[in-house]
Amino acid sequence: MSDPLLALDDVYKSYGEEQVLSGVSFEMDAGDVDVVIGPSGSGKSTMLRCVNRLTEIDSGDIYLDGDCVTDADTDVNELRKQVGMVFQDFNLFAHLTALGNVTLGLRKVRGMDKATARERGYEHLEQVGLSDQADSYPAELSGGQKQRVGIARALAMDPKLLLFDEPTSALDPELVGEVVEVMRDLAAEGITMLVVSHEMGFARSAASDIIFLDEGRIVEHGPPEQLFENPQAARTGEFLSRLETTHEGE
Amino acid sequence: MGTPESTTTERTIRTRAAELTDQPLTLLTVAVFWTWLVVRWTNDFLLDGALIERGTSFFPTAPFEAAASALGSLAASLGPVGFPVGWVAGFFEFLAASIPYLPELAIGVWATILLTVLGIALGFVIAVPLSVARVYGGTITRSLALGYTELFRGTPLLAQLFVLYFATPLTTVIRELPTVGTGFIPAQAFWVAVIAFTLNSAAYQSEYIRSALNSVPEGQLTAARAIGLSKVDGIRHVVLPQGLRYAIPGWSNELVYLIKYSSLASFITVRELFERTDAIASETYRYTELFVLAGLFYLALVISASLLMEYVEEQVAIPGLGTTGR
Repeated sequence: MSDPLLALDDVYKSYGEEQVLSGVSFEMDAGDVDVVIGPSGSGKSTMLRCVNRLTEIDSGDIYLDGDCVTDADTDVNELRKQVGMVFQDFNLFAHLTALGNVTLGLRKVRGMDKATARERGYEHLEQVGLSDQADSYPAELSGGQKQRVGIARALAMDPKLLLFDEPTSALDPELVGEVVEVMRDLAAEGITMLVVSHEMGFARSAASDIIFLDEGRIVEHGPPEQLFENPQAARTGEFLSRLETTHEGE
Repeated sequence: MGTPESTTTERTIRTRAAELTDQPLTLLTVAVFWTWLVVRWTNDFLLDGALIERGTSFFPTAPFEAAASALGSLAASLGPVGFPVGWVAGFFEFLAASIPYLPELAIGVWATILLTVLGIALGFVIAVPLSVARVYGGTITRSLALGYTELFRGTPLLAQLFVLYFATPLTTVIRELPTVGTGFIPAQAFWVAVIAFTLNSAAYQSEYIRSALNSVPEGQLTAARAIGLSKVDGIRHVVLPQGLRYAIPGWSNELVYLIKYSSLASFITVRELFERTDAIASETYRYTELFVLAGLFYLALVISASLLMEYVEEQVAIPGLGTTGR
């Protein structure tokens, strides 16, 4: 069988004295949806940002589709064309409309002409159910709509892998559903996703694997049934039971 | 969306600008001022004095003189209670005395505007990379940009003008350039002043732009990088379009300052508004009238600039960015 789409091999990262990632290794195949859970400060977001090199690792290797992307001579902009990212606080370009947000990368990174980019942009807004908001500025959108534009922006680059950094944490509870629904659709379409999220509903229904990260180490990694029904490590069970009580009903 | 603090200041400035447009009298005065200027320039520069001889005012002085003397005698006949009428008479006297100098001052205003516009525009071209270097540069570029800014903000503009004019070969070099000092093209001193104002204003403008760039949330550039834009492209397509909008209110201040600071060019013999005013005043000894007049002209220019910047701010407003869109 071919290489895994994404592989982390013994990744270490520290900020000064603070060790954030301590030998993280895992693999995911094309079409997989892996959900990363763990207490705050466990290194989830850092791990995600290492994959598209928004954060540089100290040691170890990260492979995307067989290529080592942590080599010094890797073109990070080339890498980021292939890895989309969705942010916790959306980070929509505040001076651009929803359509402008989606097409900026197409035009300035992919070098598409304006008309083609607009066409593509509309398609991706359609995909997240927001083609009617194409001309709205971020400030005119609700949080849920903003995040859906954020997803469309990442999708537009046609990435091999989509990273989600707590995509629903900044949302009012009633707006979480629309974003999770879009993410479920993407998962069903076979888009490879690495998701940091405590949306247990999404994790249970859409995840191929759950990765439980604690203190910079992967404590447990397995299919949702295993982690939720029969956690191997004591800490996993503890964390999940705390999560279930706080996130009940969401 | 900026810090709450900056939002408050921007709002205050906005309210002030909005107050200006709400004043029909202000708008009317500005319109009259500019119509007169443009007609005057067209006549003197382009039509070779076809409408009226160069240096001759459009307005006759006789009616104002007559009004002044009539009101003067009325005030005298009213005795001790006639002093308010005397003031009005004085105003007409002022008008009658000012009219002959208007044409010459209009030419001075042209030089003042040209100096200011060139200084601010060329300064802006330097200020943008300078502020980007300050915010996003490495240690070396950052300290170079800081050094530049501190040098030009920390020394008197007049000293900068003198150094460029007297202590560098700039004057000689510019004088040798073809067309300098002939026809429409002002003489070398003017260009030395433009260079000084450009360098100085770049330093001040970069400070305004730098703080505006700092108020663009960090996540904006992160998101730009995440879709594969290089740092430079991310700054260009994402950070600057937002930062420059934030910078408009502060930047407008610099424009207003520069209009008035341009009078310092008179010290290196540039024949702008202040220099012409001073020259006529020392010939005629009508210091009061002439400097009041020059002051009014500067005021009219400053109000025009405020109105223009308010218009620009409205034109480029985006919902949620800065204050205008709210």
